[in-house]
Amino acid sequence: MIFTMVDFLERAQVDRETLEIWIEEEWLVPCEIIPERAFTEADLARAQLIRDLMDDLGVNAEGVGVVLSLVDQVHGLRNVLAEVLTSARDIRVARSSS
Amino acid sequence: MKDPYEVLGVARTAPPDDIRKAYRRLAKKLHPDLNPGDKQAEARFKEVTTANDLLSDPEKRQKFDSGEIDAAGAERPRQQYYKDFASGGVGAGNPYENSSGFADFADGEDLFAELFRRQAGQARRTRGADLRYHLAISFLDAVNGATQRLTLPNGGSLDVTIPAGIQEGQTLRLRGKGAPPRGEGEPGDALVEIAIKPHRFFVRQDDDIHIELPITISEAVLGARVKAPTPSGAVMLTVPKGSNTGTLLRLKGKGVARRGGHGDELVKLKVMLPTEPNAELEAFLSTWAPVTSDDPRKDMVS
Repeated sequence: MIFTMVDFLERAQVDRETLEIWIEEEWLVPCEIIPERAFTEADLARAQLIRDLMDDLGVNAEGVGVVLSLVDQVHGLRNVLAEVLTSARDIRVARSSS
Repeated sequence: MKDPYEVLGVARTAPPDDIRKAYRRLAKKLHPDLNPGDKQAEARFKEVTTANDLLSDPEKRQKFDSGEIDAAGAERPRQQYYKDFASGGVGAGNPYENSSGFADFADGEDLFAELFRRQAGQARRTRGADLRYHLAISFLDAVNGATQRLTLPNGGSLDVTIPAGIQEGQTLRLRGKGAPPRGEGEPGDALVEIAIKPHRFFVRQDDDIHIELPITISEAVLGARVKAPTPSGAVMLTVPKGSNTGTLLRLKGKGVARRGGHGDELVKLKVMLPTEPNAELEAFLSTWAPVTSDDPRKDMVS
């Protein structure tokens, strides 16, 4: 599902100025669909995470960038680890059946 | 449903500040996006937020304390967490996923290195970074518009089209002129912040141009047509008979371009005596006896 800017502001409950700052900081990278930016559900969930970090967890603006970068790396690692484990399982299955 | 005070680990008499602190401490530990893959943490986080929703609202807390509502009353449905989108597996297309945490593993020759490489290639953020530049332009280029070549730190250059009427500090976005993408995808944008150098005699105020124009004493007294500079070239200006220093004349439409037209140029006249002593003028003035005496300092008499 793709949201327009107006839709996104409403759903994420942020004002336009704040969103511009988040985009400027590259916390959010919406796709550039002419004539307007477009936002995905992942962008929305990510905006919710930014709000949780700032509103509930007391993370300040500098900290948000650090947290997001580490979260992004964790997901990179998790996905590659999942793939490695799947491959390892396949190899074992192939061995035991031969 | 668990007792919310127990969930947060606070006393029933705890002040709101303690509740907030306790919630914050637990939320930091248990937030599902900070513990992707930990189902238990997610379940506990739900309990903790429910407890906080109940106890951080004085009205709800009072109702709970008096037994009017139970702990289940405050549960709120939460939309999906970010992790639900970020863990789609290799190449699921999450643009934020970042492989820099394991880029060093991808250097080997074996099966695993191949896997890391594949992951790294697909998981790159798709868009190149935006690059910021500063460009100082002349006053007239800012008013009239121009194309300027910006030399980049890497030796390349960038042609920047400056729209007429640009203001100090405005930023121009040049689409696709930023850093190239690391993987496949679009390059970033170049963001050029504009500084405007001051002009020798033009001063800008919003969309209007202000200028001080010197005129001779005879032009002031008798009136004249004089040449007045404007940002788009000189024009002939009628100085009315009997003008004085400070007389303000408006040249309509000779200011800065704006939505639906142009601002004005405001010309402030400045009467100049001859730079050299002038015997004829002195002789004339010594015989000049005006009928009505005019004291220019009459307002200052106290």
